[in-house]
Amino acid sequence: MSKEEVRLFIGPQHPGITGNMSIELLLKGDTITWAKTHIGYLHRAFEKLMERRIFIKSFPLVCRICVPEPDTNEENFARGLEELAGIEIPERAKWIRTLVLELSRLQMLIMWYGGIAGSMGLSTPVQWGIGDRDYILDLFEELTGARIYHIYIMPGGVRKDLPDGFEEKVLRAMDMIEKKLPEYDEIIMENAVVQKRLKGLAKIPKGWVEEMGITGPVARACGFPFDVRKDSPYEAYDQLDFDVITEEGCDVWSMLLVRRREIDLSIKLIRQIIDKMPKGEFLTRLPNVLYWKIPSGETYVKSESTRGEFGYYMVTDGSDKPRRVHVKGPSFIHGITLAERLLVGQNIADVAPILVALQICPPEMER
Amino acid sequence: MGLKEVLKPLGAWRQIARRPHTILVPTIKREAAERYRGFHVNDLEKCIGCGTCAAVCPNEAIDMVKVEGFEAKKGDSGYRPRIDYGRCCWCALCVDSCPTTSLKMTNEYIWIRDVPEDFVYIPGYDIKGFEDKEKGYRKDKEHGLTNYNRVPMRELDPGERVKSFAEVVIGYTEEEARKEADRCVGCGLCIAGCPDRMHIPDYIRAIASGEYERSVNIMYENNPFAELCGKVCTRRCESYCSIGHEGDPVAIRWLKRFATERFSDLKEVIKVRKQEPKDKSVGIIGAGPGGLTAAYYLSLKGYKVTVYEAMPEVGGMTMAGIPKYRFPFPSLKKQVDFILSHGADLKLNYYVDPEKFRELMKRHDAIYLGVGLMKPWNLGVPGEEHPNVIYAIDFLRKVNFNEPVEIGKEVVVIGGGDVAMDAARVSRRMGARVTIAYRRRKIDMPADHEEIEGAEEEGVEIWEKIIPLRVEDAPEGKVKLVYGKAKMVDQGPGKRPKPVLIEGEEYEMVVDRIIVAIGQQADLSFLPEEIEEKLEVERGRIKVNERQMTSIPGLFAGGDVANRVADAISAIADGLRAVKGIELYLKGEL
Amino acid sequence: MELVERLKKKFEVIGFKKQRKDLFIVETTKKDLIPMLFYLKEYEGFRTLTLISYVDWIEEGKFQLSYILWNSRTKDNIIVEFRLDREKPDFETIYRMWPQAEAYEREIHEMFGVNFEGNPTQHEELILEDWDDIPPMRRDFDTLKYSMERFGERESKSGINIRKEISEQYDEWRRK
Repeated sequence: MSKEEVRLFIGPQHPGITGNMSIELLLKGDTITWAKTHIGYLHRAFEKLMERRIFIKSFPLVCRICVPEPDTNEENFARGLEELAGIEIPERAKWIRTLVLELSRLQMLIMWYGGIAGSMGLSTPVQWGIGDRDYILDLFEELTGARIYHIYIMPGGVRKDLPDGFEEKVLRAMDMIEKKLPEYDEIIMENAVVQKRLKGLAKIPKGWVEEMGITGPVARACGFPFDVRKDSPYEAYDQLDFDVITEEGCDVWSMLLVRRREIDLSIKLIRQIIDKMPKGEFLTRLPNVLYWKIPSGETYVKSESTRGEFGYYMVTDGSDKPRRVHVKGPSFIHGITLAERLLVGQNIADVAPILVALQICPPEMER
Repeated sequence: MGLKEVLKPLGAWRQIARRPHTILVPTIKREAAERYRGFHVNDLEKCIGCGTCAAVCPNEAIDMVKVEGFEAKKGDSGYRPRIDYGRCCWCALCVDSCPTTSLKMTNEYIWIRDVPEDFVYIPGYDIKGFEDKEKGYRKDKEHGLTNYNRVPMRELDPGERVKSFAEVVIGYTEEEARKEADRCVGCGLCIAGCPDRMHIPDYIRAIASGEYERSVNIMYENNPFAELCGKVCTRRCESYCSIGHEGDPVAIRWLKRFATERFSDLKEVIKVRKQEPKDKSVGIIGAGPGGLTAAYYLSLKGYKVTVYEAMPEVGGMTMAGIPKYRFPFPSLKKQVDFILSHGADLKLNYYVDPEKFRELMKRHDAIYLGVGLMKPWNLGVPGEEHPNVIYAIDFLRKVNFNEPVEIGKEVVVIGGGDVAMDAARVSRRMGARVTIAYRRRKIDMPADHEEIEGAEEEGVEIWEKIIPLRVEDAPEGKVKLVYGKAKMVDQGPGKRPKPVLIEGEEYEMVVDRIIVAIGQQADLSFLPEEIEEKLEVERGRIKVNERQMTSIPGLFAGGDVANRVADAISAIADGLRAVKGIELYLKGEL
Repeated sequence: MELVERLKKKFEVIGFKKQRKDLFIVETTKKDLIPMLFYLKEYEGFRTLTLISYVDWIEEGKFQLSYILWNSRTKDNIIVEFRLDREKPDFETIYRMWPQAEAYEREIHEMFGVNFEGNPTQHEELILEDWDDIPPMRRDFDTLKYSMERFGERESKSGINIRKEISEQYDEWRRK
């Protein structure tokens, strides 16, 4: 650190960051010369807890690993256990899971869409995002019994069937959101300030993507069609018709475009799912969960979250508790390896939009 | 980019004219969804305090606490869940795993107090105002975490059964048994139902995890007749099973049968530690399940044990009374051989009379009386001494010992207990047409409902509300039963209705044999006078204390002769208790 | 030729399993791990390092390190794992091959106590602050005991927090 440089901490509490973490910066003027991510403010030892708990007791726990999008965790955890225990789940369960995952992605993306505007000081869409997201949370409340931590995708299927008339409610909510979206676009995408600030901001070198393990919308904004839904389809995604969205810009603006287009994609997928939803059973009976033992084995299951590839590495040893569950959140790479490199050379005012564009979620980095 | 992009965002001002998203709490109260996971409610009457909710709770938010001013019913621990909402994560696993479905969640989510301790309470007991909420998270029985459906037990076809004395129940396969055993939630309420207090959840869990040897070893800790119980136990435990409240109870009896039947040589399986030989000796009169249980544990403790049996085979009623299609002889032999292999002496055909009893009292330091009830109750109607009127226990004994017995083509069995069912089903196997005549209704029968169903499947007819009046001779070596009909008179709540004869009506039936199965009584004529005088007898049973000792020091009694339950498992329990009593007595501590 | 055959030719393969159609699990030795990773990256197209994970096999006295790689063309995952002596958990860094390995190794060093020779930042604290016990993700670290020793039972104003006593009562009842 030379005399001209200033050391500055952003966070652990900062509106531009989607959780409690801090970034230590060295500034020369208002240009960043060095960055370092500090995490540890949210460590709740989930992985350690899971090693001490019987399998079913981890089921209400895993959703807490990522607050705004808990279903990816539930789904990964359930799918991993099913694979290790050799449980087949009914077809309808797969479709309901896919529906829940897409609804969850949609509510997260809407909140994010408002959030990226908020990171630049445009706080109106933030309120809209939170408000419109509630239409989906209402759906979740009706389907699962809770708004945020659904605790719904259970090993063996899903806990409850769709309530009567749920499909129509979903479609109505989709229409309502679709009608709202042009207003968002008007104030965000078609805003001169937003365009001026985000276009060309924080260009990611293409070579980093594969080398560094960048996934999700960030990779897609660099032109790499990496999407777990397409690459290794899980649940009912192999029966859905969609294309992977990519942009070529490699900058924050492209990330914004990718996510904006994914909102449309999610709405389209939800309509498809409702259309194709089969009838039938939705839960396989598990063995007695109080004494459920899973034969020894190991696996890595992954799914596509709004932030990127979300994975669970699970090892069982034949006992009634897992030997190891390692949660791979996409933010670990995005928030530490990528952000530390990407921020260098940027303007201090752009830190918030960059971090929000990478969509860093500290809880999944610390588990 | 131009002027358009600068002006466009101003469109946001349109929102001014719109209705707000938000609702004004608390002016407007928002009702949560039908399935919302809010505060708990618990139906205290339905709850049995099994503790499954506490076991499954991931956050240890549920404690089972003793509830005051609340009487625990049968199969109820008297404990109720207390929930700490500082720990609760609203996952509703407790609701989904509640075997009785008493624990529910309401869709109430607002409850404000300034004292944190107010958020620790017993739902249903501490009234909080949302007890009668109708909406909220409920358990769906088909998709909850409790498996209510028993793995069905395969049986011989009824048409096949009546052809021979082959065992009716086929038994579980390994896969079926493990699946059935896995249903057990391990609450342990059943232990209170078992007279012998067997460690039921432990051995069931051992079966579920495939450790059959361990399972049998757990059983033998307090029951050397586990296989017998696996076949013919009256299984009070199953009526205590927490899963049985909403579905089929765990098939505890069949699982015990499965585990014990796997091993033909018990000596290799059961790990026992024999204690140092002691110089005291114990005499056991009657080689029934109770007497042999006492003999087993006493010989393991190193005492010299001699068993005296009047009949030519050991086993008591399990040998002489239980038909072979329920309890085959090789199975009994296997268990008895194992019990006797630990050093107990056996004297068969040894009928104890007063003289011999005096001698035994001198020879042994303690005596255990397990003589059972061998004298049948009479019908108490005129003409009963007719040679075609026979008594069920005599009939069953003769059949079991392969003695010749003639019953003809048409038989009526009087009674409604297990012995009546046995007599009826044995008669069916001997080719007779059988009617059971009972003075109350079918639902009042003390017999096991599976036995009643089994008998009916085999073609036994059951006549209800029949009161025998007299027995008369009939031509061609037959006998005539004259009977009246009864009406059921209510005796007030909690008491079973009493049958009262409808006067003035008489019916009759002509059959080859009348089999009387209305119960047995003790025959204590073998006791010398001076003992009989001192021995306290209460309503036909020898009075014993909690260590099974009678009013005479050193004389212990158990089984049917001392308890009113009169089944094999209580006899075994008595035997086990007596062992402790005898040990203390011989050490001079009782 | 199958992937496993090719690997077997060049390296010591202790175990191989095809867990799913797009997931392979290969167990190798400490010596062959880094060459195998290099080979997989440069010649087999597994260019992305997704995760480095760790498992404690305390009964065997071993640590397991698992490297999960991804091939963006075939869309396959491969888990390459090996066992490390628990008493002397020394290994080498691979951060020159993949930059994100630096942070992963830093976490493993902190939570598990494996020493990655050559990693420049592994001694920096990542999640824990002023940690003074054994690395917490090891299986012999008892979280409950630690928390009881450091923080004790929570005190309650009205004394309703008699959890222990109550559960002892109930346990006693169950034993009966």
